[in-house]
Amino acid sequence: MTDEASSRLPELAVDTIAALATSPGVGAIALVRMSGPEAFEVLRALTPGEDDPAPRTATLRSLTKGEGGDLLDRALVTSFPRPESYTGEDMVEISCHGGWLVPRMILDACVATGARLAEPGEFTRRAVLHGKMDLVQAEAVLDLIEGRSKAQHDAALFQVERGLSRRIGELREQLVTVEAYLAHHIDFPEEDEAPVTVDRVADAADALRDALEELLETAPEGELLREGAVTVLAGPPNSGKSSLYNALLGEERAIVTDIPGTTRDALEAVISIGGFPFRLVDTAGLRDSDDQVEELGVEVARRYLDRADLVLFCVESQADLGSAELEFLTGLGDVPTVLLRTKVDLTPRDRVSGPLTSEGLAAEGLDDGHRVNAADVRESVDLSVVDGTGLGRLKEILPELVYGGLVRTGTSVPALTRARQSEAVQKARDQVVAFIEALEEGTPVAVASALLRPAETALEELLGLISTDEILDRVFREFCIGK
Amino acid sequence: MSSDRTYDVIIVGGGHAGSEAAAAAARLGARTLLITPDLARVGQMSCNPAIGGIAKGVVAREVDALGGIMGRATDAARIQFRMLNRSKGPAVWSPRAQCDRELYPFGVRRALDEVPGLFLHEDMVTGLLMQDGRVTGVRTGGGEFRAEAVVVTAGTFLRGRIHIGSDASVGAGRVGEAPSVELAQELEARGLEIARFKTGTPPRIDGRSVDFTRTERQDGDPQDFRFSSYVRESIPEQRPCWITWTGEGLREVVERNLDRSALFGGEISGRGPRYCPSIEDKIVRFPDAARHQVFLEPEGLESTELYVNGLSTSLPAEVQVEFLHTVPGLERVEVTRVGYAIEYDYFPPHQLRHTLEVRAFPGLYFAGQINGTTGYEEAAGQGLMAGANAALRVLGRSPFVLERDEAYIGVLIDDLITKGTDEPYRLFTSRAEFRLLLRQDNASRRLGPRAREIGLLTERQNEALEILEERDLRVQRWFVETVIEPADANPLLGQCGSSPVRQPVRASELLKRPEVPASGLAHAGGAMFDPSTDTDAVAAVEIEIKYEGYVRREAERARSLRRQADFELPDDLPYEDLLSISSEAREKMARVRPSTLAQAGRIPGVSPADLQSLILEVRRWRRKEACFT
Repeated sequence: MTDEASSRLPELAVDTIAALATSPGVGAIALVRMSGPEAFEVLRALTPGEDDPAPRTATLRSLTKGEGGDLLDRALVTSFPRPESYTGEDMVEISCHGGWLVPRMILDACVATGARLAEPGEFTRRAVLHGKMDLVQAEAVLDLIEGRSKAQHDAALFQVERGLSRRIGELREQLVTVEAYLAHHIDFPEEDEAPVTVDRVADAADALRDALEELLETAPEGELLREGAVTVLAGPPNSGKSSLYNALLGEERAIVTDIPGTTRDALEAVISIGGFPFRLVDTAGLRDSDDQVEELGVEVARRYLDRADLVLFCVESQADLGSAELEFLTGLGDVPTVLLRTKVDLTPRDRVSGPLTSEGLAAEGLDDGHRVNAADVRESVDLSVVDGTGLGRLKEILPELVYGGLVRTGTSVPALTRARQSEAVQKARDQVVAFIEALEEGTPVAVASALLRPAETALEELLGLISTDEILDRVFREFCIGK
Repeated sequence: MSSDRTYDVIIVGGGHAGSEAAAAAARLGARTLLITPDLARVGQMSCNPAIGGIAKGVVAREVDALGGIMGRATDAARIQFRMLNRSKGPAVWSPRAQCDRELYPFGVRRALDEVPGLFLHEDMVTGLLMQDGRVTGVRTGGGEFRAEAVVVTAGTFLRGRIHIGSDASVGAGRVGEAPSVELAQELEARGLEIARFKTGTPPRIDGRSVDFTRTERQDGDPQDFRFSSYVRESIPEQRPCWITWTGEGLREVVERNLDRSALFGGEISGRGPRYCPSIEDKIVRFPDAARHQVFLEPEGLESTELYVNGLSTSLPAEVQVEFLHTVPGLERVEVTRVGYAIEYDYFPPHQLRHTLEVRAFPGLYFAGQINGTTGYEEAAGQGLMAGANAALRVLGRSPFVLERDEAYIGVLIDDLITKGTDEPYRLFTSRAEFRLLLRQDNASRRLGPRAREIGLLTERQNEALEILEERDLRVQRWFVETVIEPADANPLLGQCGSSPVRQPVRASELLKRPEVPASGLAHAGGAMFDPSTDTDAVAAVEIEIKYEGYVRREAERARSLRRQADFELPDDLPYEDLLSISSEAREKMARVRPSTLAQAGRIPGVSPADLQSLILEVRRWRRKEACFT
């Protein structure tokens, strides 16, 4: 490897890092933690004359700024000698009084006596470096901290507990099995007593492909778990979009979060519906100026539509669907859409039209030509935010529409939640498929086997190394070898 | 032996490792002495009478390509030849030859006698002469011999102990030959780590007492295959092998006597090879297998003895007779030699450099079973490399190391040093990352030029190599340049089930079709070469054109790994102090002391994260060193 390549690698973990682990601000307790070879030395400097606390035992100590220095705080101190610590290094945790001042002063004292401020995520990075967790677990730690919905929390916790790592490990095991069959096929002659046939190799490869594809199918929903499904409210002016936005937000107020970095031209909030994260976008009052949509009188911003995982299309229950609306719906292509007939409290019951799914529209003759069929209108709900009609029903169907797979299996299953993960699994899958196709074309097994190496590498990149000894171990366990 | 008893290189042992080591050292111009307790047994096949097999056959051809003895000795002794893996494509074809047990060592000895500057001496080496931690020679029963480099190839002789059943055990290097106890003790006393392995042999029987009608005859391939690319030996008359099967009767006898087996009775502590299990092992580990295959292999043209491959055992002699009598065809068989198990010392090979020099003692080299390997071919490959490097050292030249993408010999040595081994090590194609590159057909093309460059080839071998290179080029060019008319191509395509062509088409284009063989195209296109004699060149073209994409990708992968190999690790890197690396990886690397980043990455227990830290630690360490000096 060249020096340029190595210079891009993460900084070395030989110094001692310190950081405030709780969020800064007013609070009863804050946690300062340190990790690295000097962690215990720094603690000794802050507690002159005192013995080291017993490992993994919270111990009350007076913290001062060095020998004869001012008292900073009386705090609970816990030491974690390596390697039995989160990072695998010597660690110290100081539970001090919270607020703006005390934790800051303690952190400064740590830095003054030998530690340096940690970079974001550095504790977890060190944990990976020391083999305390794999990359997939480390990513999940971040998800757990940032989690905004029950489903994301469950999925992240499952991954932290190695749930996904184990599944990827199992897939790797399966790959090793294919390679063991291959090894036996190639490394023991035809005349041997129980040759492994090409069919057996191919069957094992087929099973591996199926397993990889099954995991891959979790990726679309899994990745949405982290970001929230982009759910765009669209519809003609005054069709009740903003009222719906506020109604959905109001009931889920605890989890409302402003998304930084979004433009000011739309309102966005992540809310949890049925435990699943939705990123609700209200484009009320917006018209896409360089788009037909404006002429059509439908309010929506095209750039949101491009990213939409779901569209809630609002139409007043009294109004009929005009050609503008139908045009818009058609333009949505395959984005799942829910038709909301709003303000039903103002509409006499007999004036509300029937279910407005694609089929329903066609049945009612509202299908202008066959254009609406191009849209994927899954459901139609009669809604009133005034008396609450339909809100319950809407919340029931939304998780099913976006997270159907996870709703059925529960979120404590191995699911791919990051592009990095699904890319690696996809690559492994593609290589296995190429291998299967090569066998079908009559390429000799020994030649085609070269295709499996990149599949190995892809799964290794997610987890760790594979060794040929492992393959041979398998061979010797499962086969009796003659000559 | 010359009067001043001083040489450049001394080889201890005359087996497959020792003879290749001696010949290689002498070919490079070092005055070389081979010392062995019994000169009549130089090049002896102490286990089964066969050379080659999967991966091993490629090694035999690599040894030959590097100017070694094994290939031509096999050609001159082979009495049955089979190309294994023929159904799995030329990329993994593996030549194997049954050999005449008398003719093989005869061929080895003849080859040794041809090498100028190589001297033979019969004696038992009892110790090493050392000065300031460097080797200066050897001590034998008959006196002292001096040399700047010594290659020890002691095989199973170091404190060897033979077991026949649980009662009888005797110190021996092979049946009837004394073990080497003092040398083992001295090496251990000097601080080398030592461990113990075991292996076994089957009984041999009198072929005149076999009822062959109850066995299956296995003839060799008719083809005139040769292991040697350079020397054309005449091939002896051919003989068949015979196949039979064990059954319930044998199982019953073995199970009833398990407690009398040295292997199972606890007499032997060392680990044995899983791929060459004793019959006791097979019965215990695979209780569901109804039967096990047994090969009856001829020991030689003039011998009536047969080697009972598949029934290696450490059961008592009378039990061996009893279980043999249950096997179809062997009901009245006479046992000529009983099978036995042998345990012996070896030196865990992480103590070596890639040149096979012992790290702790400059000038001392180990090769063969002493390094924990098994197999004649593995021994020969190491012997050749150790002998060559011993000579290069004495001559003040740079060492000769083969990488994993160059040769199975490179894979073998790197595996030994980097990963170590906890059972007797043998090669498999699965151990090589680049098996499409490391083939039997291209051994001379891969390694011949390297051997020529450093002077491992004799003049005669050099000339032969040139002819080979021309031939390869000619065959290759024929396929790329020849245009075949539809009238000539279509009959062949029809035979292969391939769609016909309408326009004239290049041979190489048709060759890319998986179902179209190169030899058929050569006939159809009226090639001037003969595909039945230029088998290597045609096989090479077959793979390199038909599977061009695969071969190219593999070569690219090899190149990218080479870049990692360019990152060298200092020999005196203080691994214990590199705290950013996991303690497991630190410990493993301190033991192996890898020479490059790539090698470090192959050590089990070293993770990619450890490698990243290692890079930074090395750069930091280099900066620090630069400040101090």
